[in-house]
Amino acid sequence: MAESSGSVDIAEARAEWVGVEFDWAEFTIDKDAMIQWALACGETDERFIDPLHSDFQAHPSFTTHCMSGRLFPKNFPQIGGGFGIDGGKTVTAHLPIRAGATLSAITTIADIFDKTGRSGTMVFIVQRMEFKDETGALVSTVDWKMIKKA
Amino acid sequence: MILDLHTHSIKSDDGRAKVENYCKWIRKKEIPLDGFVLTEHRQYDSESDYRALEDEYNLLILKASEVETDYGHVLVFGVNEDLLHSFDFANIRLPIQTVLNAAKENGAFAAPCHPGRKRVGLFSHYELSGPISDVHTVEVFNGGSIPGEDELSVKQAAIHGYKGFGGSDSHVVSRIGYCATTFESDSITTVEGLVGELQSGSFGPISLRPEPKNTTTEP
Amino acid sequence: MKVLSYDDVELGDDLPGEIPDVSMLKVTAFCTAAKHVFERFVDHEAARKEGFPAAIVPGIMSQSLLLAMIHRWAPGCTVRKIDTVFRGTLLVDSKVTMSGAVTDTDDSARTVEVDLVITAEDGRTGVIGTAVIEFQA
Repeated sequence: MAESSGSVDIAEARAEWVGVEFDWAEFTIDKDAMIQWALACGETDERFIDPLHSDFQAHPSFTTHCMSGRLFPKNFPQIGGGFGIDGGKTVTAHLPIRAGATLSAITTIADIFDKTGRSGTMVFIVQRMEFKDETGALVSTVDWKMIKKA
Repeated sequence: MILDLHTHSIKSDDGRAKVENYCKWIRKKEIPLDGFVLTEHRQYDSESDYRALEDEYNLLILKASEVETDYGHVLVFGVNEDLLHSFDFANIRLPIQTVLNAAKENGAFAAPCHPGRKRVGLFSHYELSGPISDVHTVEVFNGGSIPGEDELSVKQAAIHGYKGFGGSDSHVVSRIGYCATTFESDSITTVEGLVGELQSGSFGPISLRPEPKNTTTEP
Repeated sequence: MKVLSYDDVELGDDLPGEIPDVSMLKVTAFCTAAKHVFERFVDHEAARKEGFPAAIVPGIMSQSLLLAMIHRWAPGCTVRKIDTVFRGTLLVDSKVTMSGAVTDTDDSARTVEVDLVITAEDGRTGVIGTAVIEFQA
């Protein structure tokens, strides 16, 4: 039986788009933003708030805010309505991220599926961003579940 | 015996609990469960074999499904090959009558879960579309309910004369057993046995939610 | 103060619960750091116009609030993975509570898994999640 969300067939969209890379961007990690982020979240561990600490690094989920502006691949179908809301994030911290680092990120469509909940029928579009440092080492992976109303 | 009839593992898209960790948690926290049923979303997990865990932790671990219908979510116990070919478990717009009929014809037991919940609960659809005659049992205690939802479920179940059961709807380890079902029988060992006991109606819902701890501090 | 080590941790342990500061001041500071200054996060009135009861805490901030709680529980630990599901809104300037519990331990990797929950002032679950935490050898 075909799954559908409006006029878009979810199974077809999944088959066509999952695994597609669609964005390539660079981000420079700003020391002041790292500290402000950690302090705003009540962080008390010196590694994240003291730039003089020998192991000073970004908060583990600091990369979750990195967005280049492109939300979907070119020609991606209009699935669901509205801009979408943030349904959740999974962060894998592979290596510490240091102040001043330049990270290159590649974004991929990781999954597309629909389900029903208290808010009605929703489509989940999962995007995966992989961040590498200047040496090519993978430092962070972020899976972002964008929820759109079907 | 006491069974949690509604749990999710990492096999569900939003489940974060490994089945062995459920077992460890139950034993460590001395939760009075004799077992639990994995009701993965929009699928039936034919592959996983939990017999070794059952033996190690002396717990009954059964498998079922949670499917999505035009009258909200429905738990299906006793899924078999014939039932799997009766409808598409992944379809989020199944007609509830299709699910109820297919379950009945194939020796399974279907019962709406969290019926007091907005949009995905049976009773919110009753307001708009009227009752379904083939429903006889609903999950009145659900561990994921927000305040007011279970109260509505209990009230409406009484109005319609439905039998009630309980399930935690746990998606993380530490929430297993928040709600459960107590059976008069103490000899359920298979999913067929569970279906038989559900059909007999000799059970009731219980809440095992831990008392809130007053240990929070402002950092 | 004794620093928690892997050997001190047992399955079933609770993390000390916390009431994080989700005041407009903190949320605005976070949004500025994250370049995430949207009205629904930093302006109660604008959020109400969008249909929310008040301004809401960004999901990514709630994740970092949990990380800070973990770091206080186990200073010096490394959070290898955090996975949060944003199930409901948490309101700015409200009283929310965070809790956690150890659900698995791995002696060979010296890691523990924890369940994480943030509960809104009205008792709704706002965020659930899990984390994998590595302790120093």
